[in-house]
Amino acid sequence: MWTIFFLIFIALITGIVSWLLFLWAVKSGQFNDLEGPKYRMLDDDDIGNNKNK
Amino acid sequence: MPECDHCLLEVSASRAVYDEINGDEKVFCCQGCRGIARMIGEEGLEEFYRRRNSSWTPGPPEDRAFDASSFSGAIRYGDGDAEVDMVLDGIRCASCVWLTEKLLMKTDGVTAARVNYATHRTSVRWNTAVTDIGKITGRIRSAGYTPKPFLANVHEEELKSQQHDLLIRLGTAAFFSMQLMMYSIALYAGYFQGISPGTRQALQFISLLVASPVLFYSGTPFIRGALRGLQNLAFNMDVLIVTGAGSAYLYSIYQIFLGGEVYFDTSSMIITLILLGRYLETGAKGRASEVITGLLSLNPKEAVVVRVPGSGDGDHGTYDREYVTASVASIEAGDLVQIKPGERIPLDGIVIEGESGVDESMLTGESRPADKRPGAEVFCGTQNLFGNLVFRVTRTGADTVLSRIIKTVEDAQARRAPVQALADRVVGYFVPAVLLLSVGTFMAWIYYGRESADALMTAVSVLVIACPCALGLATPLAILTGTTRGASKGVLIKGGDIIETAQKSDTVVLDKTGTVTEGKQKLLSHEGIGMLDDEALRLAASLERLSEHSISRAIVDACGEMQFHKIDGFTAAPGGGVRGRVGGKDVLVGSRNFIGAEGISGSFDAALSQRILSEAASHEQAGATVVYLSFEKKLSGVFVISDKVRKESGEAVRRLKEMNHDVIMITGDSASTAAAVARIIMLDDDKVMAQRSPVQKAEEIEKMQQGGKTVFMVGDGMNDAPALIQADVGAAMGRATDIALESADIVLMTSDLRLVPYALGLTKKMYAVIKQNLFWAFLYNIVALPLAVTGTLHPIVAAISMTLSSLSVVGNSMRLKRV
Repeated sequence: MWTIFFLIFIALITGIVSWLLFLWAVKSGQFNDLEGPKYRMLDDDDIGNNKNK
Repeated sequence: MPECDHCLLEVSASRAVYDEINGDEKVFCCQGCRGIARMIGEEGLEEFYRRRNSSWTPGPPEDRAFDASSFSGAIRYGDGDAEVDMVLDGIRCASCVWLTEKLLMKTDGVTAARVNYATHRTSVRWNTAVTDIGKITGRIRSAGYTPKPFLANVHEEELKSQQHDLLIRLGTAAFFSMQLMMYSIALYAGYFQGISPGTRQALQFISLLVASPVLFYSGTPFIRGALRGLQNLAFNMDVLIVTGAGSAYLYSIYQIFLGGEVYFDTSSMIITLILLGRYLETGAKGRASEVITGLLSLNPKEAVVVRVPGSGDGDHGTYDREYVTASVASIEAGDLVQIKPGERIPLDGIVIEGESGVDESMLTGESRPADKRPGAEVFCGTQNLFGNLVFRVTRTGADTVLSRIIKTVEDAQARRAPVQALADRVVGYFVPAVLLLSVGTFMAWIYYGRESADALMTAVSVLVIACPCALGLATPLAILTGTTRGASKGVLIKGGDIIETAQKSDTVVLDKTGTVTEGKQKLLSHEGIGMLDDEALRLAASLERLSEHSISRAIVDACGEMQFHKIDGFTAAPGGGVRGRVGGKDVLVGSRNFIGAEGISGSFDAALSQRILSEAASHEQAGATVVYLSFEKKLSGVFVISDKVRKESGEAVRRLKEMNHDVIMITGDSASTAAAVARIIMLDDDKVMAQRSPVQKAEEIEKMQQGGKTVFMVGDGMNDAPALIQADVGAAMGRATDIALESADIVLMTSDLRLVPYALGLTKKMYAVIKQNLFWAFLYNIVALPLAVTGTLHPIVAAISMTLSSLSVVGNSMRLKRV
């Protein structure tokens, strides 16, 4: 019995930690632009450099 | 300080709004409150003020800050009427849109009200003599929605934050539902294999713990929407969701203490799946609004303002000038703005300095640059090509020509998805039916002498099983899968509403140039008359180099490394040709009519040998374009330029005919050229419309629509844009111009015309799948209803119906992957 509750406790903790991780990811903007990065990696220069050309 | 009679906010006497309502003098803090109080008074609902006095608390902070005067900048006044664009916060579904529109239309003085489903943007027009903005916004607020004046950036941020909010709610729901599922499966196993009551109750308590955030945090938008719906006596989707999830939750809490079975998983999964559907939908909506923002982004955000110290206008001396980069929003009519070559013009205005060509193709469809000198008008969004221009701003913001075009495109996009409406209509009947069934069950149980507690629990279990979890997924998933599949094949479908119209289209209109043909003109042959062949080509190319027309490019491309002549006084006659001077001598290149009328002194035919005439005629027969060169009023050269028919075009037309579509080709080109192309792709002569201007193309399509046809138009050029918007469904080909892409509902990524029959087949399939999905979503729950009525419902049954309907919907949608 005790083992079951211990495992449930671990599962809850793991779940909540990954949920917090998810909240952090959303809040820090990881999901803001799902399209952009795949194009951005093809850009050689950042905007600052383009202006100098 | 006096208090606002409506919202009880303290208001300074100088800023207060006074009004007389039903004979009583009232004080209000703002027009919004006055409007609502008036409406409440007029509708005889003053009971509201008496009722609220007992338990009234002022609204949330953002409500108090509401001020109708914030709309003053967004209102466009016309002749006796005014129009405003606003964003409505709180709109969830097609029925909200319907409600808002109906509510506004029933308001005295409102002449037009339209809510864009995709963007939640509302346009309202009203008679200024009858009503005002305060009343209109008050009316909207009384329905529970919050209106905000539309400003491009505000709207975008709104959507972003909405999506952000939805993602967090979905994520939370998903994580806790996953946790919940572990305990639910343990409980299922316990049901089959036996479990000690203590362990069961412990597991049930933990289930309650993880199910609560799903209902009360992730489910908040639904609870709010349901309350709003019930206030208006509307049984919308939210009411169904909250009834289903809420009753499952409360029923389960009660059962924990009785030692019965719990339905927390039903409660959580309903919310999670529907949030998922909504999230997929906002994704699609976001893409749709990107199209609009794309158009808006044509609008430069910053511009160089020229300030002349001492005098705002009149004196344009080059000295003491100040060049300031300012945001476009801050520029007012009357300011001077400088535009460098290659830049887009930020606002409408009149040129006061400089000379240049401006590409106005996005407005006019004319591919040749328009000449701009002092006094000429320039338009927002057009592109300056060669020289510096300084212009005085005449129109800003929503008044510019570009803004009006954007509005046309958006109005076209405000067409809502009838399929979505179907889902909502079904729910509208389903909810009252289920409620009646539930009440009926309760009464039947009492009638048969059961205990009232048992009867109540059975009645609640009817509500628990009735809510179809897969309902929220039915439409979004089919649209998502179908559009993803289409995209991988090179067919981009811009929104869900297009599917229904596309699948029932019976007439396909093809533009010739660039759609049926390659759209790239090539010089087939050139011949000089009275001069060397290459010299004729060099003269023509020197002139055509200054033009952007596709025929010009063909001639210039054919020249390779040749040295060009210097051209003075270049002008273009749209649809005819170009003229200029080389060393003071007139040079003209253009069509037979243009050269015949202006380029040569004598008769046209007399200037050509019999051989050239017959050759030109046979080339034109074969679909080629023949242009002529005149030098010093003498006919001096003949050029044959041809646009090859794509080799897939014939097959595409054949397939479309097999699908029972009426195929029509429309072109601005001459009848003989069009007929030649039609012969190659096996179209009858009566299916060809030649010599149609961009506007005429749209008119022809309108005529077909009046004849009861649903028209699917395929085009690529800016000259097709009006026709693409006019058509029920517009499709733009691969390398189409920006404006054609913006006007189109479907974009074909490659220039293969066979994608047209594919796109039509795909939409037919998608529509069928949506209808099937709605059927599957409801089926299992309806089948399980008798179990609930008889009191033999078990969590396993609820879980099975939930799983099966979701799987059916998902599986059925996945079939679209193989289209």
